[in-house]
Amino acid sequence: MTKNDQNSRKVGGQSFYYDARLLFPVLFLVGIGIVMVYSASSALAFKKFGTEYYFLKKQLLFALLGIVALIICSRFPYRFFRSLTYPLLILALIFLAVILITGLGYSAGGAKRWFRLGSFSFQPSEFARFALIIYLAYSMNKKKDVLKDFYVGFLPHIMILCMFTVLIIFQPDFGSVVILGVLAWIMLFVGGVRLSYLLTSLALIIPAGYFFMVSADYRLKRITSFLDPWQHSANDGYQIVHSLMAFGTGGIWGTGIGKGYQKLFYLPEPHTDFIFSVIGEELGLWGVLIILGLYILIFWRGIFIAGNCKDSFGSFVAIGLTTAIGLQVCVNMGVALGLLPTKGLTLPFLSYGGTSLLLNMASIGILMNIGTAKKVLKKPKVSKT
Amino acid sequence: MGIKRIKWLRFRIILICIVFFSSFLAIFVKGYQLQVLKRDELYKRAYMQQRRNITQQPRRGNIYDRRGEILATSVDVKSIYAQPNRINNLNYALVNLARVLDTDPHKLEKSMVSNKSFVWLKRKVFPDQVEKIRKLEIKGIEFVLEPRRFYPNRELAGHLLGFSGLDSRGLEGIELFYDDYLKGKIGRFVVGRDGVGRNLFTEKGKDSFFDGGDLVLTLDKGIQYIVEKRLKKLVQKTRAKGGTVIVMEPQTGAILAIANQPDFNPNTFWSYRPSNFRNRAVTDTFEPGSTFKPILFAAAMEEGIVKENDLFFCENGQYEYHNKVIHDVKKYGWLSFKDVAKFSSNIGATKIGEKLGKDSYYIYIKNFGFGNKTGIDLPGERSGQVRSVRSWSNVALGTASFGQGITVTALQLVCAVSAVANGGNLMKPYLVKEMVDHKGQITGRMYPEVVRRVISEKTASRVVSLMEEVVKKGGTGSKAAISGYRVAGKTGTAQKVDTATRKYSKDKYVSSFVGFVPADEPRFSILVVIDEPKGVPYGGTVAAPLFKEIASEILYYLGIPPKVEIVKKESDHKLYAGSKVGRPLTDFVFEEDQDWNLEGRETLFPNFSGMTIRQVLKVAERMKIVIEIVGSGRAVDQKPKPGTIFEAGRKFQVKFQPSSA
Repeated sequence: MTKNDQNSRKVGGQSFYYDARLLFPVLFLVGIGIVMVYSASSALAFKKFGTEYYFLKKQLLFALLGIVALIICSRFPYRFFRSLTYPLLILALIFLAVILITGLGYSAGGAKRWFRLGSFSFQPSEFARFALIIYLAYSMNKKKDVLKDFYVGFLPHIMILCMFTVLIIFQPDFGSVVILGVLAWIMLFVGGVRLSYLLTSLALIIPAGYFFMVSADYRLKRITSFLDPWQHSANDGYQIVHSLMAFGTGGIWGTGIGKGYQKLFYLPEPHTDFIFSVIGEELGLWGVLIILGLYILIFWRGIFIAGNCKDSFGSFVAIGLTTAIGLQVCVNMGVALGLLPTKGLTLPFLSYGGTSLLLNMASIGILMNIGTAKKVLKKPKVSKT
Repeated sequence: MGIKRIKWLRFRIILICIVFFSSFLAIFVKGYQLQVLKRDELYKRAYMQQRRNITQQPRRGNIYDRRGEILATSVDVKSIYAQPNRINNLNYALVNLARVLDTDPHKLEKSMVSNKSFVWLKRKVFPDQVEKIRKLEIKGIEFVLEPRRFYPNRELAGHLLGFSGLDSRGLEGIELFYDDYLKGKIGRFVVGRDGVGRNLFTEKGKDSFFDGGDLVLTLDKGIQYIVEKRLKKLVQKTRAKGGTVIVMEPQTGAILAIANQPDFNPNTFWSYRPSNFRNRAVTDTFEPGSTFKPILFAAAMEEGIVKENDLFFCENGQYEYHNKVIHDVKKYGWLSFKDVAKFSSNIGATKIGEKLGKDSYYIYIKNFGFGNKTGIDLPGERSGQVRSVRSWSNVALGTASFGQGITVTALQLVCAVSAVANGGNLMKPYLVKEMVDHKGQITGRMYPEVVRRVISEKTASRVVSLMEEVVKKGGTGSKAAISGYRVAGKTGTAQKVDTATRKYSKDKYVSSFVGFVPADEPRFSILVVIDEPKGVPYGGTVAAPLFKEIASEILYYLGIPPKVEIVKKESDHKLYAGSKVGRPLTDFVFEEDQDWNLEGRETLFPNFSGMTIRQVLKVAERMKIVIEIVGSGRAVDQKPKPGTIFEAGRKFQVKFQPSSA
């Protein structure tokens, strides 16, 4: 370890490399998240559980667990994930199947998306996303030379994706399916699958997606209300309209932390799906900018790590994890701002939610591990003393 | 990995980055659009939804009498309102609400089928109805506390208090006159509201709210009660159209009681005819008749044109005066000025008026306050009509001399006579003594106000003497005499103008009596006006006895001790104790119907001075007390002093001395 390497610190006598440019934005976001989860959820928590600290306490616990997960993953050589590919994949499928088939699924708002474990719940679709990233990275790395082949390089991946898609779509959780699909598409694109296959798949998926949207009434309503939210402000446009009003109320400087109105039973899920609206209202445009800036830092660092990794498995995993975070950010913010139709997606690091926070922080740990691994490979450190 | 491969990978990564960074840019642009460009529009929408203007009704102030008894207060009752847009099952709601509120469901429906978020269902509802509606558990039916005005003494002082309506707005009487003070200030607050419609916290406007202030009246509930009870009885007995009694403190102008018939109960004012609300004492004018003569006498004596013993020829009851004939009730020949007053000769009064002259008389009439409002703190006061002296004919001077041809309010008349009673100062009458704001601080205190001095003290006492003659044996007001007290007064029997013929009616009279007790240092003056009594209309027979009843009871209530005639000139207690009193004191007799029983009521120790031991013992027996007798002869001293309030277990002692010692 050299003194001039500012991104590395020695901790407890052991060599522990961590990436400050990745870690600090994440910790900053988690910190803001805890404050905003408390601000957004206190009224709701008091009404539901009789204590305004209910969600705050759990989020604090998840944040601590998340930090532990981050440290462990940053110390865990990412290459071992290669051998874990199929166990993870099978585990994810089992989770999804169990939640769908058995009565263990815990439903909220008409969708079975969670496992209940005591007072904690676990969202298998988040886990499925992680499993898919590992699988695709592993598979594309293994098939490097034959990736251009349709039957080897494209079809198996799509089939695995379809298995997930089908299981998740019946929950139903359309948002996660879209994220999963786009994520897989990006990974295949970056990995080098033939462009014609990808474009063709798009041409096939878009009409199918359209049919799917139209087939379910509540999804169709989401689209129509998205196109003209003010017209449907009393029912389907309700969420969007209140989110837009939150941003408008916030203005440039915001109303101040805790002083927002939309979280007071106007916005549904103010501490999860719509936490960005609460931030927009209470912290204003500058808050929005800071949050966005922090995500850009993380994204940029993740891409940097991916681009500089000499190991294509690591590179693919880094791409997958980074774009997964970036996608969630874009979709969640896009929904909150009325750019996209409503989907039940959380904002990484900020939204209340154990599974999401844990997995996202673990992803950062893995990214850090990939980043440090690169350094070790490229420039082996020699102790000068 | 080949170089080419890595280049390709990087190229693709850059492409993905471009897509992501454009998305981030789009997010920022949209955020900027919402938070800067469309900010005002969105904020306005949000504000309209999140804020609610609510009003907080202040508590209307109480009204107390001079002793702190509550005359009007506010109690909180519930009002029911509906939020039609929140009602789920409208039919169920309509049918059940109509049943409980006892109304037509269709009528209810009309008010409910609107997109309004607030509709009053019923204001100020009885608690049992509230409970029934609460049990229906209809979403969108809410309750709110509203103050309701409550007059615990029902009809008592109803004309003075007036009443306030549904929205706590004063409509009559004190409630109207002092409405601004009593009502306080409505609080208009902007309240934050959450997504399910609950009020959160007050944002602004809190300072402007305050409760109404309290009023303390000069009115005495006890006196008011006495007056109302007696007046009502008499009006019923004489089947009169109406009546008014005013009791006033002559030295200050403070109103002790004003009663009118017919009356009403302000708690349920809507069930009466509006004419019942009229406070006739200030809103109705009448021709006073002979009760006006003290003004003439005062003017004539102040101007020095008559003396008590000047003689006037009273034309044997019929006096042809400028082509009109003036009558007296009885035929009189030569009468002294004193007797003109005592017998209330109209002819005598006319001749005094002639001697005084209309210009001079007019000035006194105006100075005594006639033709102008007294300025009392009550709404609807009239000024009466005193025509300009330039338009007075000779006949007008004559009739004005005995109180016809001019109109006055009862209040003006009692004020004018009070000026005579108090030694010549016309006082401004007032009803509110103190104003106490919502913090309990006295913000206003009314002090007696002299309008002007109208006659000298000497003239005043001479007029009082004349008025005392009226009440003495043989005078027209002899039925107003109260034994043991000096009473001054004047009767009046005025013909009313028939509205149909525009001439004086033969059978419609206003019978009145004005006077004060005790004559030498009056504690109160009373005016009794009875409108159109059936039967004998004379003031001396209708109004004077009522005066006596009321005055006796008030004297008793106030604990004013009687004074024996002989004692009145002795200024010092000790002086008379050892004086040579030659005259027997047997003319001081307790009235048989006077209730001396002490049980369960507060009473006063009587004045025994001058009584024999036997008389004292008789009183003691009636009062069921034991009196220690010291000495013999006639009573000269007593413990406790006369007028002291009785306390159980106290020792009573009366000292006697032989009268001719």
